[in-house]
Amino acid sequence: MKIEATQFEKAIVLKVSGRMDAENAGEFDKACELWISQGFKHLIADLADLQYVSSMGLRSFLAAAQRLKSVSGSLMICGLRGLPRQVFEMTKLDSLFPIYETAPQALAAL
Amino acid sequence: MASPFERLSLPARVESVRLFHQFVRRGAEAAGLDSPDMNKLDLVLEEILVNIARYAYQGGAGDVQVAYSAEAGSLLVEVTDAGRSFNPLDSAPPDLALGLADRPIGGLGVLLVKQIVGSLSYRRQDGQNKLSFRFPGPGTIST
Repeated sequence: MKIEATQFEKAIVLKVSGRMDAENAGEFDKACELWISQGFKHLIADLADLQYVSSMGLRSFLAAAQRLKSVSGSLMICGLRGLPRQVFEMTKLDSLFPIYETAPQALAAL
Repeated sequence: MASPFERLSLPARVESVRLFHQFVRRGAEAAGLDSPDMNKLDLVLEEILVNIARYAYQGGAGDVQVAYSAEAGSLLVEVTDAGRSFNPLDSAPPDLALGLADRPIGGLGVLLVKQIVGSLSYRRQDGQNKLSFRFPGPGTIST
């Protein structure tokens, strides 16, 4: 898994690519923690190049979203496709997050 | 015709999951599974193995064995551990209707396994948990 962060005025886009599993999901937690501790309230997870996510990855998305909601912020998801999209749909997480096609669309909604 | 079972035993730890993935992918290739199906099979195995790594031996050490038999188009997979008795089919499903603030963080792994595989069977035998499934099975979701 690779996480690339890009800072915008209102949000940080975290482009997550590769495979997010039990062994590495903690890296996403740390990345979110870093930006939230710097005062950012909106994070956008761009999953267009994510091939695989297991329930440990879902826990990380859920935990970050709950943390951001508690400070009146949000975790937005974009680029959902393939297996990650199916996993979000099977667990009904797709109804809990604001979901956009692309990161620019998510940014424009803020 | 089904091939004889191939077996691999490793410590029940999260770090073993990738080695089990590599092992079972050899069978998946022999069975002619495509790439999206291999990712789904990886996911099912990860969820089962992580549960065993975290809960089966209650902090102690122990092994887990994965065995598979390949036949044209599908694999029969059996996961065995000697930890405490645990039938994932008995676990209560998480409430998916809850909103973000109330949604529990855990419990989604077993749900994914059940939804992807379609049919699972569990038995407790000789002090061991044996969980088996066919992949893709009759109820396996398509891509």
